Amino acid sequence: MRNSTPLRIVIGIAVIVLLLFAPRVLTIVQIRMANEIAYFALFAVSYNFLFGYAGLLSFGHASYFGLGAYTTALSLKHVAGMPLLASIALGGLVGAAGGAIIGFFCVRRKGAYFALLTLAFNQFLWATAWKWHKVTGGEDGIGKFVPKSPLNLGIATLDHNQVEGMYYLTLTVVLLCLAAGWYLTKTPFGNTIKAIKVNEERADFLGYQVNRSKLLIFTIAAFFAAIAGSLFALFQDFVATSSIDLGMSTQVLFMAFLGGTGSFFGPILGAVIYVYFTDWVSSLTNRWEFILGVLFILLVLYFHRGFIGLIPTKVKAIFVTQKGS
Amino acid sequence: MELTMSTLLIYALHGLVYGMLLFLVASGLTLVFGMMDVLNIAHAAFYMLGAYFGYTVVLATGNFWLALIAAPIAVGLLGALVERYFLKKVHIHGHAFELLITFGVFFVIGEVVKWVWGNFPRPMDVPSALAGSIKFIGLTYPFYRFFILFFALLVLAVLAYVFFKTRLGMTIRAAVSDTQMLSALGINVPRLFLYVFSGGAALAGLAGVVAAPFLSTYPGMGLDMMVDIFVVVVIGGFGSIMGAFLASLMIGELQSFGILFIPQLALVFQFLLMALVLISRPTGLFGEKV
Repeated sequence: MRNSTPLRIVIGIAVIVLLLFAPRVLTIVQIRMANEIAYFALFAVSYNFLFGYAGLLSFGHASYFGLGAYTTALSLKHVAGMPLLASIALGGLVGAAGGAIIGFFCVRRKGAYFALLTLAFNQFLWATAWKWHKVTGGEDGIGKFVPKSPLNLGIATLDHNQVEGMYYLTLTVVLLCLAAGWYLTKTPFGNTIKAIKVNEERADFLGYQVNRSKLLIFTIAAFFAAIAGSLFALFQDFVATSSIDLGMSTQVLFMAFLGGTGSFFGPILGAVIYVYFTDWVSSLTNRWEFILGVLFILLVLYFHRGFIGLIPTKVKAIFVTQKGS
Repeated sequence: MELTMSTLLIYALHGLVYGMLLFLVASGLTLVFGMMDVLNIAHAAFYMLGAYFGYTVVLATGNFWLALIAAPIAVGLLGALVERYFLKKVHIHGHAFELLITFGVFFVIGEVVKWVWGNFPRPMDVPSALAGSIKFIGLTYPFYRFFILFFALLVLAVLAYVFFKTRLGMTIRAAVSDTQMLSALGINVPRLFLYVFSGGAALAGLAGVVAAPFLSTYPGMGLDMMVDIFVVVVIGGFGSIMGAFLASLMIGELQSFGILFIPQLALVFQFLLMALVLISRPTGLFGEKV
């Protein structure tokens, strides 16, 4: 597998160049869709850190997405002169803190317990966002918080109020996060997580700190999810309870499963398919969520590997490092 | 609000009624988990379907008692289908996929409900025979809530009888403690699973019908109930009927008095209690399995 590394780098660079020049050929609507795909891809990949890598099935991943979104929105709204980039970072940190606290309770338990705890905490945060009208605006949400002045990057300025500018901002942050995440899966810590998924008891006996490692990956996943949420907030310039409800948790689960949870890139493909699929089906029928649910059941029943499973093994070998290589 | 003895009593009754309702739903969930090791997320959707089926039967025939029989049967049959054609199929792929399939069923039922009955509440009238209120020791209380209370107690008594006095109950209890041994003794365990899953679904459906005139039917009722019964089974301990019973009453009272004293934080209390139980007794109050 090692000899595929140069090819991998070439393909990686080609994809990035393609993404950078995409706005030149895409329409405004398509750029907005690409923007949406970008932060959802990060969200789905962060979800897969839990399920795909650590074997932790979470039904409450929107908690951190929502925490990031609300933090970014509130900090820009209430803190005078809050830099845009700092608000994204702050969103990520608050999400990570939330992940560490909730994770502390959740990772102590396995399987079904873990799943329902994540769901219960998600409902708790959702209810808080919904009831705490004074701060979150409840159902009405918070809007119009993105600063009007263009982003000053020292050597250049980026006008995030333009569709293209926002796309580049989102793309850059997402690519940086994905690269960091990809690197993480290659570290010894990444291997520990995979070992825990395969056999938790054995990993424990081998001297790995099982619960601490699980809590760490939970926190990291929460961090990336929160960054995705912050980007979502900036893109929409509006945050409401829908960013933190069970529907959002369901959405990320669907995305990860559509693409396939067995690889790093599966959820990215899932985000692409999800955004295009829902756009297409919702233009045909109002019942698109029903169709999505049925599709999900079929996937779970017959097609675990998701759509990335359709890609021939030889092509996939370029991207996926096989075990033991 | 002036805190009089009667106010406190009324709120205690509110809590008791809701707690019993919770128990009706949670008992099926905890039994299925104890036996099959499956957390059935669709369980709350069965409760919701029961309410909507009941609503439709009452709308069509005007007969609440018919709804009380027909809706649970329909939900029970649906539960059997879900077990037979979905759950069993993914069993070999492990725990996560069992959870995912029941989650998928929950999601699809929720969408179907919005589709068929509309995305808005459908209030159901209290059946005329159970309408009105009764007076006792100086306070008036809606008769229908008493009905819920006694009906739940009746169901509890029947359940306890089946559970502890019949051969089927003995088999179920045996299955909770060791399915493999039971299978080795020649019991058809898959069929037993089917019965219990279907029975649990019917029980949830029954709770739905009873709840409909009390809490109204609305598309979010499944999710609302799901969160509460999850908290109940975590506190009570998975697989423990006794734990589910006590935890249901605790949550019922906690919510009721929470709304009375600190309405803004009413919801926080049950999560705090859950977190507390998780820290001090991770297996729940009566749970043994980890």
